[in-house]
Amino acid sequence: MEEAFALLARYGPKTKVIAGGTDLIPQMRWGEIRPEVVLGLGRIPDLQEIQFDDKGGLRLGALCKIGAIESSPIIRENYPLLAQAASVLASTEIRNRATVGGNLCTAAPSADMPPSLLVLGARAVIASENGERVVPLEDFFLGPKKTVLDNKELLVRLEMPPMRAISAGEYIKLGRRNAMEIAMIGVAALITLRPGGNTCEEARLALATAAPTPIRCKEAEQGLTGKKLDKKTIESAAETASREASPRTSWRSTEEYRRDMIRVLTRRAIQRAIDKIKS
Amino acid sequence: MKQQIELRVNGQVYEIETEPWRTLLEVLRDRLNLTGTKVSCAEGHCGACTVNIDGEAVNSCLTLAIEAQGKEVLTIEGLSEGGDLHPIQETFVTHGAVQCGFCTPGLIMASKAFLEHNPAPSDEKIKKVLAGHLCRCTGYVQIIEAVKAAAELMGAR
Amino acid sequence: MNEDETLDVIGKPYPKKDARIKVTGECRFAGDISVPGMLHGKMLRSPHAHARILHIDTSKAEKLKGVRAVITGKDFPGILYGNFMHTRDYLPLAIDRVRYIGEEVAAVAADDEDTAWEALDLIEVEYEELPGVFDPEEAMKEGAPLLYDDKPGNLSSKSEWEFGDIEKGFKESYLVKEDTYRTQHFKHGMLETHTCIGFWDANDKITLEACKQSPYVAWRQLAMGLGVPPHKIRIKQTYVGAGNSGGKQEAMPMDFASVMLSKKTGRPVRIVHTMEEVLMMGHMRHAFKIDLKLGVDKEGIIQAMDCYAIADGGAHSSIGQLSVFILGAFMMMTYKIPNVRYRCYRIYTNKSFSGALRGHCGPQGRFAFEGLLDDIADELGLDHFEIRKRNALTPGYEAPNGFKITTCAFKEALDKAKEVSDWENKRGKLPKYRGIGLGAAGFVTGSNIMGMSACSAMLKVQEDGSVALQTGATDVGQGCDTVLPMIVAEVLGIEPDDVSFALVDSDLTPIDGGSWSSRVTFYAGNAVKIAALDARKQLAQVAAENLEAKEEDLVFRKKRVYVKGSPDHGIELDRLVRYCQNRKGMTIMGRGYYNAPCGTIDFPTGTGNFAPTYSFYGQVAEVEVDPDTGKVGILNLWTAHDGGRELNPMLVRGQIIGSAVMHLGQALFEGVIRDDKGETLNTSFRDYKMPTFMDIPGEQNIYSMDQPDTEGPFGAKEAGEGAGTPTIAAIASAIQDAIGVRITSLPITPEKIVMAMKNKGAK
Repeated sequence: MEEAFALLARYGPKTKVIAGGTDLIPQMRWGEIRPEVVLGLGRIPDLQEIQFDDKGGLRLGALCKIGAIESSPIIRENYPLLAQAASVLASTEIRNRATVGGNLCTAAPSADMPPSLLVLGARAVIASENGERVVPLEDFFLGPKKTVLDNKELLVRLEMPPMRAISAGEYIKLGRRNAMEIAMIGVAALITLRPGGNTCEEARLALATAAPTPIRCKEAEQGLTGKKLDKKTIESAAETASREASPRTSWRSTEEYRRDMIRVLTRRAIQRAIDKIKS
Repeated sequence: MKQQIELRVNGQVYEIETEPWRTLLEVLRDRLNLTGTKVSCAEGHCGACTVNIDGEAVNSCLTLAIEAQGKEVLTIEGLSEGGDLHPIQETFVTHGAVQCGFCTPGLIMASKAFLEHNPAPSDEKIKKVLAGHLCRCTGYVQIIEAVKAAAELMGAR
Repeated sequence: MNEDETLDVIGKPYPKKDARIKVTGECRFAGDISVPGMLHGKMLRSPHAHARILHIDTSKAEKLKGVRAVITGKDFPGILYGNFMHTRDYLPLAIDRVRYIGEEVAAVAADDEDTAWEALDLIEVEYEELPGVFDPEEAMKEGAPLLYDDKPGNLSSKSEWEFGDIEKGFKESYLVKEDTYRTQHFKHGMLETHTCIGFWDANDKITLEACKQSPYVAWRQLAMGLGVPPHKIRIKQTYVGAGNSGGKQEAMPMDFASVMLSKKTGRPVRIVHTMEEVLMMGHMRHAFKIDLKLGVDKEGIIQAMDCYAIADGGAHSSIGQLSVFILGAFMMMTYKIPNVRYRCYRIYTNKSFSGALRGHCGPQGRFAFEGLLDDIADELGLDHFEIRKRNALTPGYEAPNGFKITTCAFKEALDKAKEVSDWENKRGKLPKYRGIGLGAAGFVTGSNIMGMSACSAMLKVQEDGSVALQTGATDVGQGCDTVLPMIVAEVLGIEPDDVSFALVDSDLTPIDGGSWSSRVTFYAGNAVKIAALDARKQLAQVAAENLEAKEEDLVFRKKRVYVKGSPDHGIELDRLVRYCQNRKGMTIMGRGYYNAPCGTIDFPTGTGNFAPTYSFYGQVAEVEVDPDTGKVGILNLWTAHDGGRELNPMLVRGQIIGSAVMHLGQALFEGVIRDDKGETLNTSFRDYKMPTFMDIPGEQNIYSMDQPDTEGPFGAKEAGEGAGTPTIAAIASAIQDAIGVRITSLPITPEKIVMAMKNKGAK
């Protein structure tokens, strides 16, 4: 790590960090990014840890492969939502190389991991030669392809608390095809119920490709917390989420369709989370 | 500014000089003359360049050659042993899974990594695991059938 | 030989002969071939949709270390080449004008690819930008920028013909309906990008090693564009990593560049396109706006058809003259249509250009026709199958435009499709948002087109009883490398493994039109069969003498030649061959050529029975639409086909499924997307979305009518293109059943479905 920081200090803005390389290598190939120095972190130990305890929660190394997250028994048992999100990212081959840190630091608005991490209350642990600082993931993204990291810092770890009891989550990704899609819209919902009924103790909603960065839909969440989760409240929350979001029209899709889909998928994600709790 | 690296490919050791930005795909094809692994989209969207690194299927177009150091790389050329086809190669031949053949090496390598740990896969699982591979010729059905038949053959042997 | 006897080889699912070298990675495609001294070439492309080239300065590029030659359009004789005499407009490299973003302007040969790429950046081209036009209907208007000064209205080509009297036909119709259908630009999608290795030797012999699916087309075009006689050119075909027509069907700027760069450097030059180049370049399926009007009587019998279509041709003609004709011709290939007016206009626009692609306007025509016919059936209260059966082409029918239907099991195929899909219990009766739809199509089995129908084969029977087969036919993955040897094997009583199949080499192998129009099994198959029979006859003559029997009583089976009824009274084939060779000085070589008994196209009148026989398809798709997202899942696809006898059922199945899945892509996912300045936006597989494993139908079932054709080799008809031709129509119809709205533009995206349902009834 020290070596990494020293190199970053030395080369600074001319450096690009490489993790899995699945985003960086195509960008270098097409000349979109022309770094003078590429810093590989693959040999740093501890950056791939997956550690859980039911008090502190999860420590997820930034260099954990998406594939490892998908198949990790720890993740599948304690954060199945995360495993679900990992499983729909690109292809098997890419998941065997891509890392969660890379997915976050590339900071595409359509990235698959952020929505789930956001609803799970993840914190980004950032290190530099001056030590570590912790940033709630909600504050990590500044804009398309921009994060709070300065060019001397590295994202080293994600931490999140254990999931609450009577909780379940769902990540839905919409694409034109059933595979190999960049999310046209991605929705993560995490629902916690009060014991014995349909009343929502807490709801968290996050979206991909619905704004310049991944976002939490706090207004929509408030529409669910403390309320009985029936068709009406769920639909209302979905509607609110679609208004909180700021999707664009691009040659890939229109704003109207994207907003419609935010509503549809938010409704679905909430319902599926509830169904998971019930079953 | 070239670097001296050592790669283990198909059980053989190669010492080569390469720029650090070269992908494993370029080095395999242009330096080691292992042209079985194909260049198609060269950006991870088609699977044609798939090889195994330490038993895992990866896109060699998205892997730097220097990152493959210290690892076991297996390409399509390394699959058959002493002239005998691997079961997956056999069933691809017998089940009509090969038409133009350009996507074939990548698909076989992906199937190899997969079947080692999934002896009795369902159609659904096969489709999901191989979803990163495009084939314009076959429409995929005979490939799925070949992979299932290979699983059976591998189990039997 | 008596074909009523049991067939030993034909009809069996022999594995594809080259599959073995393809699964081991040994098979060398063009990009895998390196030759000593080889240089690497790259193409410089225009960044402007329409511009004059004022000046090109290559001096800086030439000075870059490792660059060996730089060429521009002026290095060529300036002769236009292309497919049709009156529409040729290709130049090897643009000389004074560029007409689309991506048009080739210069080329570089260097020691390695990186240097070649770098050199491109150093070539300075001074352009004078011209206004561009990007929509065909805008391009047709008075005052629109002209791409070619001698083509007013930007008219690239047209096809106008009539039969009967449509006015009368419509007047006598009980019901007349019309609608407009729009299809998109659609790419071939092959995984192997275009690749070539050119070499111009000291004797001015020009060799091009390339993945051409029609090597002789490339051969002629290269000769044309270089201004040299064809015998100076040698095309050596490499294994083709799929083609589906397009650039692998013609000579491309890269082919010209590689040989000219070789001339300048004295070294072989290899050029490989990137997939980004392939997706931004020309060569794709025509996009159409089709205004179709149909009139039927009370029984649903078609009285008249009026079709007006505009093809978005892009910047060059390519094979467009044929395309504009064929849209209409293929529309006549499914049902009996007594009165027709057809007008189709191909318009130049400043975009990457259109040409041929598997199915060649058949799928677009079916999308329009089948859709309108369904709407008519619904209005008349007629079953979709019934209306088709009433209009279906039948054996012996002669169409007004000259089509002569010979064998035809179309009605049987329709019946089968209806039965196996359980149509009666499904159409209009499925749960909400599930639907079932029918698409039907006839297709040509080969054709006499472009004066390139001659097909020939040569073989030699070797002294160990094996055969070396040479034809001009090209395997592009469809399996002629296996089926043609199977034909030889059947005739001579040996195994397909005993027959070697040569890659095409214009110096050595006989001429052939190429792999298009689903002609190979039929044309090359017949040529091969004739050649094999020729060899058989030579052997039979000697054997008859030897065995003291009559030639016609001899059987060639299991590598023996024996007298019918007395298998012991015979001789091993290899012994017979050696006997001929050693005792009689006879080397056994068989020769055959075949030109199908059909006519040619008379383009001005639109007449001509240009295919020797036709295949027919009834295809049913069952879909489930997610009403909230608009996503479509194809639950089942049933294909009943009249393809004659299946020579190799496993390979036929591969063709049918492959073509259907490809067209599923056109129906639901794919399309070239450009901005309003003509720049292609989706130049990557990320955004040019071909179907993946997860997108295929839940089940696909294929049923062959198994009625041998009278002219096809061992009764075969085509299988390569026809099966995908009705697929878009079937899926569109199923979606219409599911959501109650017909969508008349492609691709039918989830977004379109959601919007259509929102505005139910509006288009």
